[in-house]
Amino acid sequence: MSASELYQRIVLEHSRAPHHFGALAAPTHRAEGANPLCGDTLHVELRVVDGCVAEIAFRGEACAIAKATASMLGEAAARLDADGIAQLEARFARVIGGDLERDDTLGDLNALAALANYPSRRKCALLPFATLRAALAGTAKTTTEGEHR
Amino acid sequence: MSTQASRGDIAAFDVARIRAGFPILSRQVHGKPLVYFDNANTSQKPIEVIDAVDRFYRETNANVARAVHSLGEAATSAYEGARDKIARFINAPTRDEVIFTSGTTQAMNTVAYSYALPRLQPGDEILVTTMEHHANIVPWQLVAARTGAKVIAAPITQSGELIVEEFIARLNPRVKLAGVTHVSNVLGTINPIRELAKACRARGIPLLVDGSQAAPHLAIDVQALGCDFYALTGHKLYGPTGTGVLWARKELLAEMPPFFGGGEMIRTVSFDGTTFADAPHKFEAGTPNIAGFVGLGAAIDYVNRIGLDTIGAIEGELAAYMSDALKSVPGLRLFGEAKDKAAVFSFLIDGVHAHDLATLLDHEGVAVRSGHHCAHPLMQFYGVPATARASLAFYNTREEIDAFIAAIAKVRKLLA
Repeated sequence: MSASELYQRIVLEHSRAPHHFGALAAPTHRAEGANPLCGDTLHVELRVVDGCVAEIAFRGEACAIAKATASMLGEAAARLDADGIAQLEARFARVIGGDLERDDTLGDLNALAALANYPSRRKCALLPFATLRAALAGTAKTTTEGEHR
Repeated sequence: MSTQASRGDIAAFDVARIRAGFPILSRQVHGKPLVYFDNANTSQKPIEVIDAVDRFYRETNANVARAVHSLGEAATSAYEGARDKIARFINAPTRDEVIFTSGTTQAMNTVAYSYALPRLQPGDEILVTTMEHHANIVPWQLVAARTGAKVIAAPITQSGELIVEEFIARLNPRVKLAGVTHVSNVLGTINPIRELAKACRARGIPLLVDGSQAAPHLAIDVQALGCDFYALTGHKLYGPTGTGVLWARKELLAEMPPFFGGGEMIRTVSFDGTTFADAPHKFEAGTPNIAGFVGLGAAIDYVNRIGLDTIGAIEGELAAYMSDALKSVPGLRLFGEAKDKAAVFSFLIDGVHAHDLATLLDHEGVAVRSGHHCAHPLMQFYGVPATARASLAFYNTREEIDAFIAAIAKVRKLLA
């Protein structure tokens, strides 16, 4: 297991210049997610049209893994409704949990498969998902407590 | 508090031989020699401690203070022997003031529930400082919520030093207890406990000292410090996890009801009522961590053999080297630059998150902690969610510091 497996180029690119970061002009949903393990906080704003994500923007201080995941999730979540995002998260959780090598529907998010070897860092990648899920559910605040150990 | 180690002691200090006595220090991580810089989290254990625990289970294991058979006598004698060693180690006036706990957290909670809770009235205050570990904040908040009291904090400077006059200014008649860390787990700051204790004593306010980070590095003399409660944990003091100590003046212990009830802490029990044993047993309900305290006794013997003066001098030299080395790292921000500080270094590097740093340093064999260090208020004070922390022990070396700095350069190249 080498460091470059987790911190591979695509992950570093997304974390250095994350896509879908900033603020939306007219968000319909928003939430704040915290990772109590490390103190990181991520905010998300959404514009939801007909139950589907039309626009998404994250912001906040977070590690490279959380930022890269948020950036990739911004792409993957486009046009999905809450069910679609829940399915995406379930597939992602299987890949980073080591139960599935990769899933073609995840796109760039497959780059985080090396998290299978870093159980203590999985919460970092699940933070953007939990925050997005909270926003769609109309929950203002969430944490990754109780997610994967 | 302590006499300086002589040059001879330091010159005679053979770090290779010391390291050979800590089995884990010879292992590799990710194919690299382990550089263990997470000593403030938990220290590694010398073979004497590992052997003492192993030998106890092989040769002596029995319950304490119950059995009259040979093993029971031997186990009780080993367990109570550890109490004598700790009493001498912290210069307690009597062994009966030394209560065994599972760690500092249980010691703090014992004071919270047995001392503070019965006394607190609405409007009362418990004074702590901005640099406290959650173990010296949350127990007070829990008893404050039940009594209408509140927890207040004395501020610190940007360099991480307690503002003593601000602490003293807050010692008003509403304050029923003050709690201060001896050494900050994040900043390494060594607080002027004698001065604080004197101010508290003059106002009749008991002072509790969190000695978790101090006991492995400084000679502790609870009588000279002048405090009323002193808490420490065994696993940072080269002993087993699940061992800790609460020292308190016997007048205070006599007034305190037990926190836990059960076996071993009673004199007589009937359904009409129960009378309790005297301290320390009043506060030690149930079967204790016997093997753990036998191991802690061995750890105290080990530390005494090396000598805390020598440990302090070696760590002081390592700290000076580390401090200079960190200054050479571009974009590094150090948290905690107190004049009087232990070998604890919290820092951030521009463009590198603490968690990514810790994961990538691990790949170079270097173990550091990243996160909030159970000190949210201190993180809020500095306006950061997390820091990385490298904390040294006397068995670390300059070569390890060089390896750590080289590993940081590699991480910066990748991430920053």
